[in-house]
Amino acid sequence: MTDRRRINGPSGGTSTPIYSSYLAKDPKEIPERPTRTRPPNVLRKMFLKTGVTPSASGSAYLELEASKNPNSTAPGLASLSTSGLKLTCTVHGPRPLPKSAPFSPHIILTTHVKYAPFATRKRRGYLRDNSERDLGVHLETALRGVIIGDRWPKSGVEVIITILEGEEDQWWGDDIGRGAIGAAEWGMMSVLSGCITVASAAIADAGIDCVDVVAGGVAAVVRSGNGGKAPAPALVLDPIPSEHKEIVAACIVGYLPGRDEITDLWVKGEIGHDNDASSGSASYEELADNAVQAALGSHRVLVAALKETADVKLGRL
Amino acid sequence: MSTLTHPPPSTNPQSSLSFPRETFAKLSPHPYLLAHLTPNPSKRANSRTATQFRIPHINNGSLTHAEGSAVVRIGDTTVVCGIRGEILLASDVPNYRVTTGAPGSGLEERGVEEEARELDLLVPNIELSTGCSPQFLPGQAPGTLAQSLSTRVYSLLHSSRIIDNEELRIWYEPPDLSGMGKNGEDEIMEDSDDDEEDEEDKPEREIKAFWTLYIDILFISLDGNPFDAAWASILSALHDVRLPHAYWDPDREMVLCSDSVSKSKKLSLRGCPVAVSTVVFRAKEKRVGKGEEKYWVLVDPDTFEEGLCDECVTVVVDCTGGKTKMLGIEKVGGTVVGRGEMRGIVGVAEERWKEMSALING
Repeated sequence: MTDRRRINGPSGGTSTPIYSSYLAKDPKEIPERPTRTRPPNVLRKMFLKTGVTPSASGSAYLELEASKNPNSTAPGLASLSTSGLKLTCTVHGPRPLPKSAPFSPHIILTTHVKYAPFATRKRRGYLRDNSERDLGVHLETALRGVIIGDRWPKSGVEVIITILEGEEDQWWGDDIGRGAIGAAEWGMMSVLSGCITVASAAIADAGIDCVDVVAGGVAAVVRSGNGGKAPAPALVLDPIPSEHKEIVAACIVGYLPGRDEITDLWVKGEIGHDNDASSGSASYEELADNAVQAALGSHRVLVAALKETADVKLGRL
Repeated sequence: MSTLTHPPPSTNPQSSLSFPRETFAKLSPHPYLLAHLTPNPSKRANSRTATQFRIPHINNGSLTHAEGSAVVRIGDTTVVCGIRGEILLASDVPNYRVTTGAPGSGLEERGVEEEARELDLLVPNIELSTGCSPQFLPGQAPGTLAQSLSTRVYSLLHSSRIIDNEELRIWYEPPDLSGMGKNGEDEIMEDSDDDEEDEEDKPEREIKAFWTLYIDILFISLDGNPFDAAWASILSALHDVRLPHAYWDPDREMVLCSDSVSKSKKLSLRGCPVAVSTVVFRAKEKRVGKGEEKYWVLVDPDTFEEGLCDECVTVVVDCTGGKTKMLGIEKVGGTVVGRGEMRGIVGVAEERWKEMSALING
């Protein structure tokens, strides 16, 4: 599909480079999957900074480190490494709505989430696709309850997130067309959790009144396949999809610690609930509780970053 | 955006400005800038002199999935450039005639120096609708500024010949089966310069595929002078690109890449062109007849200055090897800049070249 407003590539179409180690039949030649080195209840180190776009009302940048393969010390080539998460968020507003818009007694929140073309292993185009719209809707749900909208009638605020580097859905070594079953989009869960946290920081940077600071957290039930027997699935916080052979279910929450409220909850996968007497497998309630714990962890980093921002802003005054 | 209430007019005739500076800048921008530039020594509203640039900061290799990447910050303008390589099979190119022969064996004479342009092997795109500035909100198709920036970058990439066509070709040398009976070994290798014997029945090397570089430039924050920042990010990312070693596998009939870092290669670039943009600020907003009016040439403008000027000059210089080469001059709008001013701008650009090329070449 040629986009007439952009410079298009070759009309014949190009393909992603395929590495010979993808197709190696000898298991010794395939590099090892990165493994999770953190304990199951420890989150990754998060870097959060506000004020990256001075011309916007508020902005923030979030970075989660990538998982490193402990066995290889040499820097890998681009397409064979696993990625971390890098997000930027800008907030524009509150701005007056255009005259043609109908009267609204509260502020109108619009969210846009966009993957950069170089964000994922497979190059994404410039047009928004369904997964980005999905993320935008979830983000709007998470933020809608937090902003005190009644203070700005007839106004709109735009929250724009650009994903510079996104989590992948599975380890590339699993992806080689061996299984016809594609992985469900587990990478999007971590991305959404990061989006909620960074949007919350940017909204606070813009000085928009909120009832509390919402933080995102994600937890998952994973099963590591080690040989014949199926081991009991384990609960982990802040999962990296490429570190686990199989993710059974994952849950992401947007949580308000001050009021102990959840603004957004999204669960994917197969999971039972407490009344099921199945031994060993986690229940839906446990998974949601763990996700809330993960959100509390992000909240701590968020509050520390916002304190710095407040110091800078008040120091300037 | 806080609401400002200004104090009631003071009866004291000695009182100074009752507005803070930002309000003054918003209410009457042209006199504000003029008031800064008129006294001698003149300074701009952002306290730089007319020929002073903002300090650039460049960071490479931060993106995992890109073959090369660069993050460039010039003042408040922040740009991220990611370069991804993908493979274009020669058989997928419509009307392609198989090119054979060793490199440098006269391919250029056969008129293929425009290969990168004809086959669209370099695909730059500039994305402004990322919320980098209140005028560029997402959800809209690229507007005039984004499209014109992309086109300017595209034509500068090709006209500067910064990437040699040979860097993007993937050759295949079919094994010489004439000697099969003697040693029976079947080697599937890419080009090796050692056995360049001219036997008549030795099959020739052919180009099986090309590397296509998708150059995506995203603006995180925009505070004036997008072209300079975008071009600097492309240059820096091209220096950072590491292409894996690609070869044609005749058994599988596909192009495979080797994942060993030692076999991958960096692109070797020709020259180091640096772009420098300037605007011209005139003392009188509207032209009032002919007459000598004061004007200032401001380098590396920010958004405030760009909004007040309608004359813009961009020069692209390359001083590699000591001699200054002009790769492009663009002048849009206005009638002030003549040959003298142009010489001054090129002189300033040469200074900037030294600074930028030292930064880009590490």
